[in-house]
Amino acid sequence: MSAAVDADLVAKIEDLLRQPVYFRDVLAMVRNQPYRAILRAWSDVRVRHALARDELGRYWLEK
Amino acid sequence: MLARMERDGHLRHVKKTIRPEYITALCGKAPAALMCEAVEGYDIPVVGGLYWTRARTASALGWRESELGARFAAGVARPIAPETVSTGVCQEVVVTGDDVDLTALPIPFMHEKDGGPYISAGVAFADDPKLGPNAGCYRMMFRTQRELGIDLFTASDLRRYYQAAFDRNESLPIAVAVGVHVFEHMAAAYKAPAGLNEMQIAGGLRGEPLQMIRCKTVDIMVPAHSEIVLEGELLPTGWTVDEGPFGEFAGMQGDLKHNPLFRVSAITHRRNPIFYALQMPWENDWLNGPATEAACVRVLGLAGVQVSAVRATEGGCCGWSVVAAIKKRAGEGKNAIAALLSLPVVKQVIVTDDDINIYNSDEVEWAVTFRCQDDKDIVILSGMKGKHVDPSVRPWDLKPGELPTTSKFGIDATIPEGIPAFRYERIVPAFHADIRAEDYLS
Repeated sequence: MSAAVDADLVAKIEDLLRQPVYFRDVLAMVRNQPYRAILRAWSDVRVRHALARDELGRYWLEK
Repeated sequence: MLARMERDGHLRHVKKTIRPEYITALCGKAPAALMCEAVEGYDIPVVGGLYWTRARTASALGWRESELGARFAAGVARPIAPETVSTGVCQEVVVTGDDVDLTALPIPFMHEKDGGPYISAGVAFADDPKLGPNAGCYRMMFRTQRELGIDLFTASDLRRYYQAAFDRNESLPIAVAVGVHVFEHMAAAYKAPAGLNEMQIAGGLRGEPLQMIRCKTVDIMVPAHSEIVLEGELLPTGWTVDEGPFGEFAGMQGDLKHNPLFRVSAITHRRNPIFYALQMPWENDWLNGPATEAACVRVLGLAGVQVSAVRATEGGCCGWSVVAAIKKRAGEGKNAIAALLSLPVVKQVIVTDDDINIYNSDEVEWAVTFRCQDDKDIVILSGMKGKHVDPSVRPWDLKPGELPTTSKFGIDATIPEGIPAFRYERIVPAFHADIRAEDYLS
């Protein structure tokens, strides 16, 4: 069932996470990509980084 | 169940390809539950909206709309123990170890402000040597290919099981069935008395034992007919991982929470499974609606009030707002209000006589308009137990651990004492019984 992670997609998501964003914003930015590839990339980002959250539920990469 | 809903006109098939993140929006705009057969990138169809209305819920159950509360109460009163089977369709395909990948499931992103894709229809099964088996409904947020955040924020049996394991610094094995029959889903949503396995209630609702099967990697029993089962453990990390926000049962976007982590060790499923995406809020609310109506009938009976019909309304999330029709004796309109408002969730009540069709909101409004004197027939109770999810109780002003209180009201829309019934004689069209509309309008 496992499949490879799209490194470019991961990089795009990491770039987006330089500022607080909703998960919806992540989906909207890469909507031309297959949904499953987005979830795999999101999984990879979450494994690699402890994402910060604010009370609104937005995510960002802590420096 | 799905075949009956389709026959009743409550389920439609969508052939056009759709992305998972559009499914919730489409379900909200559709006049029926939807089976999305072609989900982009997946070979698993997604069904949603099954219990969105009273009519769809009744169709799923195979019961009449007016008997939801009574049939549910009868099922609870006659629990039937499950039976164990050694094979089941939920284990036709078994995926374990490094092959486990939650992204293989079309877990949809549902609401604009959600923290991620959600499994909204999960029924979690756990066991405890002292407390016995337990089932309950919990939302789960996708985090990684093998991990989900699970909402154990509020008091529940599973939270109690997890707390005990956490105190021992141990993981808690659980299994989550995604896609079970409405009997099991409704029983799991019901707050069963301590010591009573919810799946015994499911048997009572079914009228026969539920077949359950042991999981492959954890010592937990699940319904053998489940579409998909996630096996794994709640790690002893406590309430530490971010989970939410999520579109909650009260129709409002919830808060970001910190909750336990569910690590998945196996995914088992049917050869051709269906992924069930329960749509918030109404599907979640209707899972509790029959239980609310059953509780109303019970407290009215304890109060000695003869009840003809009870309706938990959708606007009140099938629990907070209730309309009851009674065969009234003097004073019982107010007695009924007092009894119904004693239920923890019920916040507003309308009581009518039994000549009112309480399933017709216009009739209820008519009764309120002409049978109610507001200075005498509206009962307001203050300082009653409230719920954090209700913003009107200003929960953010509470100290940690402090419980909210709320005011509640009831409207006695029964014919006032001293006014003869003939003052309310309704208009009847002449020769009403002699005319068949279809003879003239076809």
